[in-house]
Parts: sequence; structure tokens; C-alpha cells
Amino acid sequence: MSLEAAPLLPPAAAFAAGIALAVWLGAGALPLLVLAALCLLAAGAALRFGCDQVAASAVLAGAVSLGALSAASPAVPADHVARRALPPSVILEGRMVEEPVSWSPDRTRLLLDVEAVQDGAERQPASGRVQLTVYGEAPTLAEGQRLSARARLHSPVGFRNPGGFDYPAHLRRDGILLVGSARGDGLSALTPEVPPWPATVRRWAVATLRARLPESSAALEAGLLLGERTALPRETDEAFRRAGVYHVLAVSGFNVALLASSVFFSLSLLGMPRRATAIVAGLVLAAFAVVVGAQPSVLRATVMGLLLLVSVLIERESQVMNALALAGLILLAWRPGDLWEPGFQLSYTATAGIVYLSPPLSAWLKERGWPAWLAVASAVSVGAQAGVTPIMLAHFNQLSLVGIAANLLVVPLAGAATTLGMLALSVELASAAAAALLFNALWVLLLALRASVWLAAAVPAAMIHLPAPGWLAVGAWYGALGLLPCGRRPWARRVALALCLVVTASSAWPWLRPGDRSLRVSFLDVGQGDAVLVELPEGPRLLVDGGPGGTRRFDVGERVLAPFLWNRGAARLDVVALTHQDGDHAGGLAAVLRHFAVGEFWETGRSGPGSADLERALGSARPARRVLGVGQRVWLGGAVITVLNPAPDGGPASANDDSLVLRLDWRGVSLLLTGDLGPGGEARLLQRGGRLRILALKVAHHGSRFSSSAAFLDAARPDLAIISVGARNPFRHPSAETLARLESAGARVYRTDRDGAVILETDGATLRVTRWAQRITDRFDLDAERPRAVEPDSLTPEPAPL
Amino acid sequence: MLYSRPQLRLLLALGATLLAGLAVGEWRQGFPDAAERLERFDRDETPLLQSPPPPPAPSAPKPRPAPPPVATAAPAPAEAKPVDLNRASADELARLPGVGPALARRIVEERERRGGFDSPEALRGILGLGPKKLAAIRPLLSPGN
Repeated sequence: MSLEAAPLLPPAAAFAAGIALAVWLGAGALPLLVLAALCLLAAGAALRFGCDQVAASAVLAGAVSLGALSAASPAVPADHVARRALPPSVILEGRMVEEPVSWSPDRTRLLLDVEAVQDGAERQPASGRVQLTVYGEAPTLAEGQRLSARARLHSPVGFRNPGGFDYPAHLRRDGILLVGSARGDGLSALTPEVPPWPATVRRWAVATLRARLPESSAALEAGLLLGERTALPRETDEAFRRAGVYHVLAVSGFNVALLASSVFFSLSLLGMPRRATAIVAGLVLAAFAVVVGAQPSVLRATVMGLLLLVSVLIERESQVMNALALAGLILLAWRPGDLWEPGFQLSYTATAGIVYLSPPLSAWLKERGWPAWLAVASAVSVGAQAGVTPIMLAHFNQLSLVGIAANLLVVPLAGAATTLGMLALSVELASAAAAALLFNALWVLLLALRASVWLAAAVPAAMIHLPAPGWLAVGAWYGALGLLPCGRRPWARRVALALCLVVTASSAWPWLRPGDRSLRVSFLDVGQGDAVLVELPEGPRLLVDGGPGGTRRFDVGERVLAPFLWNRGAARLDVVALTHQDGDHAGGLAAVLRHFAVGEFWETGRSGPGSADLERALGSARPARRVLGVGQRVWLGGAVITVLNPAPDGGPASANDDSLVLRLDWRGVSLLLTGDLGPGGEARLLQRGGRLRILALKVAHHGSRFSSSAAFLDAARPDLAIISVGARNPFRHPSAETLARLESAGARVYRTDRDGAVILETDGATLRVTRWAQRITDRFDLDAERPRAVEPDSLTPEPAPL
Repeated sequence: MLYSRPQLRLLLALGATLLAGLAVGEWRQGFPDAAERLERFDRDETPLLQSPPPPPAPSAPKPRPAPPPVATAAPAPAEAKPVDLNRASADELARLPGVGPALARRIVEERERRGGFDSPEALRGILGLGPKKLAAIRPLLSPGN
């Protein structure tokens, strides 16, 4: 394919590059504006003197600076709620931006455009977009409705760990600078509930599907048709992910293309004139896009679909790649931040992969005697998969091995189910009895779809997890793909081969990299809870506790620990230790056991693992289970781990006082992990005697004032104290008293609520402590009498505050 | 010819779909249990709060939840109705032995903060709810949560 066929591709790519560069350069609006103007002037001048090549380059440079200009974040207005000094609890008045979203019965998410805030008796106009989480029963609300809510507002905080998802940045791209929580009874509607027509259509469609189809099938059809996945059973969701066919559930360009083509062809078959058909199909397409909402993939497909229909109208041949570039340009000009969203990236890379790679690939397959239909379907599946592979790895660490094959079966079934669903819903308007027949047929189709996805997901190693690829690997991958269509030329083959080698080498690097023979301890930011990963000098990994999680709440194990471990290239944990069964320590471990090979599971034996979910995960993962008690020692990876608690006959004690307490020694570096040990446990630990003096202490029970007594700290005399605690936790951890005691004991305190992940790295002589939220590393000299901080060295400049 | 070939194909597909729908509808009415089992073939039905059964062979059909009691059963006395920890209001919780209005309110607040309890064990750590009290109210909680 030549560039003449897609003249819009270079400016679209230049515009996207400008957006990407803006984040790194951070230039102001005025210089960019001047630059763009200069580029255009230069282009004009070059054109005047007949240098067409120069003019083209100048136009592209102008597109880059325009892209950077569009990405420059607008100033926050003075009356924005984020700029107000507000008390912890305020009354907000605002308008619902979208329909409420509810993933569990007692929790609803609202997006509110604030109009006024009431602080005490005073009501002041305000602006800004706020995302509210409503707990408990909320009144039924609709898009566009005005309401008032008593809410607690705060800046969004993600989990700040290496390679973690930047949640605040994601919200900022949607213009959300503040999030908040409210109780259902603190909400009151100011105007009646009158949803706009797209929301009404959507509600009607979901309700009809629920009434006409059995539960799971209705949830699946709602996902296929409208991208409405809130009712989808967890198993179905998981199976679609594992099989690598999740894209059919996120309303994608696929639905739009199906709708447009089925309307177009059925109307043509009915004998409607070609132009009228194109107009009707275009109208249906636009209506569908408005109903399902403005996700990047829908917009992309709608713009492309409309362009193709227009080309029918004006009877000109259209180039799909050009339509794709135009859709990208329009979307990025409207919402530049979308460039960083996985949905945008997946949609464009998949489509580009299909458009660019499939034709030569299917021609190649046909030459080898494949039947035409199979060659085309395989080429489309391979092209899409090749396009999205780096994106899936970068955002989700996922590589689907069955995806290409599964899509061959699933996409036609999903297409048929989508088309039939639309037909059934339209017939429902005319005759419920006729629609019932169609819904029954649809049910069979949905069962077949679910069965094939379930089978694909049951294949062993259907999906594997790999570390996110670096820029080098991604660039080389797309470079190699770009050369594939000219694979018949020897030079192209050689370059493509070299690029493939680069991809392989840089992807394998995390495993091939020789160990640096140092001890690394990461106190991860898991909110209110504990999760500590110890990477021992000779390679073994020990995870102590797994943060909060479970089936009913945000699962830290699934969403924080697993990605962190995948990005470290860790497929195996030698030991997982559970200090005690509280949810903020045990909750995330079930997901860890599901995703990683675990050698041993250490526990105290004082109580079960606490949740049935974890018990089940232990049952299917079958690690060797070791019950530990005081006095036991384990040599692991060159270090000695000593168990200091619980005592086997310690008498009755609370669950916290029975916490597993581990001491780790390596080359004079010592670390004490205390779980949630309380005052009673500390007293007994002191009674038993033994050397407690340590370098680094994981402060017990998130800094509760009852733990870390003066006597205990006197014996331990930690030089560093790490508190694993969540911001704004209701227990008011860490307490001021504990912080004061730690200070008077001479400990330097690190806190995961402020510092994000706290990472200790040592080779035995120096110790480096990284505060991930600030990207600052403190260095300590361990040979000194008492570790002394050498000046901190910054990894990168601190992120600019809002 | 009255219809072109593509038109005939479309009509054929429509007719076949309607016929299939008719047959499936009859079958669903005739064998509602089998239809229900088929519908839930991929659901993981192990209840959350009981000790897990040995992992079933992957091909074995999943157990179906027991049908709801028929209306002929004697209505259970109101006292014995188990309390669902994740649904009960503060008033209902306050009727549990040893739980007063203040503790019930703390339980509800904790539930809202955490978004629900996985098990009654998760109640541990709420101020004023020790192991004894938890043991006393455990049998009165519904196993559903």
C-alpha cells in the first residue's frame, strides 16, 4: 500500500506524535502556537518557490505542534471545586453527566458536573467534574438530572507502585480532578428523573433483554449489543478475557460495522435505491453511536462507517486506511487525552492491523491452497492480533495464545448474535410473539457462543502473562509488521528479521538479566493493608500478605500485586506467607495463588485463611503448607528467616497477637515483619527474650497506637520504620502517638500512604530506599555506626502538582 | 423469477431462524429444568461460605442450587429467620443478641466502607464485637453472604 492511497495518514500520525511529545516536553501554549504559525508560513513560502517536499515537511511539523498545542492542559478555572478550600464534608449541587453505573447492588458511581457547593449556610456557584461513589441504596437517577449530595471529596489516589496503573491521570483525561464518596440517603434529586432519549432506548433494550432471555444470556447479549457489562457473571467475564475475545463485549467497531452492513444489505435486497439505502444506514449508525455512548472505538467505527457510506453517496471509491486516519484525526482533535487510553489504542491498532496486513496475508494463504473464506478470516484474525499484541502486553500484561483461533469461531457467532439481537429488539416493538421466536433462536446462539468461549478458555495456557514491553520492543515490533507486506524483497526480509531479533531479545531480557545479588524488599502501596515482597539475593521470592481483596471489593491481588509481579518477570513465588487472616492481609492472596506458581504457603495455624475464596485457591493451587511457630528457622536464598511469633502454647490471644512475625537476616541487614501484632503479642515477644535489634521494621498494625510500644521499640531500635497504611482510613492509622514513639526511638519513618511503594535495596554495604510516589531514593551507608543518610538522588523530577 | 438469489437466501435464513425459535421455545417450555441447567453450565456454583468440595471433574455437570422451598412448607417462625449480613438494616442487626443500636450502626458503616463482608469472620475488628459475641451471633447469620 502506498501513501498516495492514504494521504491523511502522515498528518494524523504527526498530530498523535505531537500529543505524545507534549507530555514529555511540557511546553506552554503560546510558544506552540507561534511554532505552528511559523511552520505553516514556511510551508507557504516553500510552496511559492516550488520546493514541494519542504512544504510537505513543514505542514507535518505544523501538525506536530498543533497536536502538542491541543494536548496542553487547559487552566483550571478559579471557581473549580478542586481549587476551593473545602471542609471534609460538603453539599454539592450538580447535574448528572451520564447514567449512574452500578457494579454491585450497594454501590453506584455517579459523574457530576458541579454547579454549586454549600459550605455551612453559604451557597456558592462552582464548577468542575466530580466522580462520586454512592454507598447504600441510592435514589434512581438519570442522565441530565440535577441533584444535591452530601459528599466527602478528595483528590484521586491510585496505587503508586512500579509499573502500576496511573488512576489519577486516567481521571484527569476525563476532566475529573476530584472524587468523593456519599451515602445513598445523603442524596436528593432537585429535578424529576427524565432520561434523554438515548438513555431511554438503552434502558428499554436492557430491560427487554432481561425479560426475554435467561439471566446469564441476557447479560451477555447486553454486553454484545450495548457494551453494558455490569450484570455479566464473573466466570463469563473471565472466560472471555482468557480466550482473548473480550473485544466483542466492549462495544467495538465490530458492532458498528455489523449494524451498518446489515442495514445496508437488507435494505438493498429489499430493492431500495442505493443512495436512499446509504442515507438510512448512516442515520441508523449515528443513532446507534449516540445510544451506546462515545467510547473511542465506537466513534472510530462510526466516523469510518459514515465516510464509507458517503463514498457510496458520491460514488467515489474510498480507502479504508484513509478513513481510519481521518477518524483518528477527528477523535484526537476532540479528545487528545484519549491517545493514552487502552480502548483508543486497541481500536486503532486492531483496525490498522486488519487493513494493512490482512490483504497481503490472505493472498499469501490463498496461494498456498487455503480455501478463500478461511484465508480471509484467518488473515483478519492474525492482523488484528498482531496489531494489538504490544498494547495488550503494555496495559494488561496479557498475551492470548488461543486468541487467533478462538476469534475465528467467536467473531462469526458474536456477529450473528448481535445482528439477531438487533432484529429481535426491533421486532419486539411490532409484535411480542414474533420477537419471542427470535429471542429463543438467539438464546441458542448465545449458548453456542458461551460454550465455544468456555472451551477456548479451558485450554491450558490459553493466556499467559508477560512483563510490559519496553519502547524498543514495541517500536521494533511495529517496524517488522510494517515491512511484512514487502516480504518478497531480500532487504526487507533482512531488516524484518533483525527487528524480530530485537523484539525477542528485549522481551527475554527480564529473564536473562543476571541477578545483581542484592536484597530487595518492596513494601507495596495496597491502600489500607499489608503486602511485602522480599526478593532474596540468590533469587527466591517471598510474599508476605496480599493486601485487601476478595470478590466483593477492589481486589488488590488481581489489580495491583499481579501486575507488579508480572512486570518483574516473576512467574513463580517461592513462598507466600500469611501473617493472620484479616481481610486487609489475606484478601488479595487468592488472586496471587490463582495467577502464580507458589512453592510454599506459610501460616500460623491459629485460624483458617479467613476467606472461602482463599481456601479454594489454596485447594486448587496446592502449595506445600507449612505451619510456623516461634523458634523455627528457614534458610532461604542466602538469608536466614527466624520465626518470632506465635508461640505454640502461648495461651489464648487475639488474632492480631497471633500474627506471624518474621525476622530476616542477611549480611548484617535485618528486617522485622510484624503483621498486626498488638500490645499483648509484643509483651510476650519481649518476655521470650532474644536479640530484637534490627535495621528495618515493618511497623505493626499500620501504625495503630496500641502497637509499637515504647518498650518494644527500645528493644528493636529500628533505624528505618515502614508503615503500610492507606490514606484516609477510618481507623486513623497511623496514630500520632506511634509516630512520636518511632521518632523518639530514632527511626526514620516511611509511609505507603504518602510515599507510595517503599522499596529497600541493599548489597550489604549501602542501602537505597526508594519512595515511589516521589521517585526519590535515599542512600544510607550501612558501615557507619548508625546508618547515615547520604543526600537523596532523584530518579526523575517530581511530578508537577496540580 | 420473483426473487433474486440473495433475496431468497435472506428469506431462507429468516424462516430457519423463526422455525428454530419455535422449536427451542417448545423445548424450553417442556423441559424448564434442563433449559435452566444448560443456561448455567459455565457458572461456578460452589457456595462461598462452606468448606470447598473436592474439585469436580471438569466435564461433570455443575450441581444445581436447591429449588426454593414450596409454599406448602410451614412458614418458619420469624425469630429463626437468618440475618443477611450484607443486606440487613441497622435495626435488624440491632435485634441480634449482644448487638445494640450503636454496634449495629458501626457494623453498617464498616460494611459500606468495605463494600460488604465476605464472611462473618470479616466482622472481627469492629469495635465492641469480640470473638465471644461473634460466636454467639454466627449461627443466626444467613450462610448466603
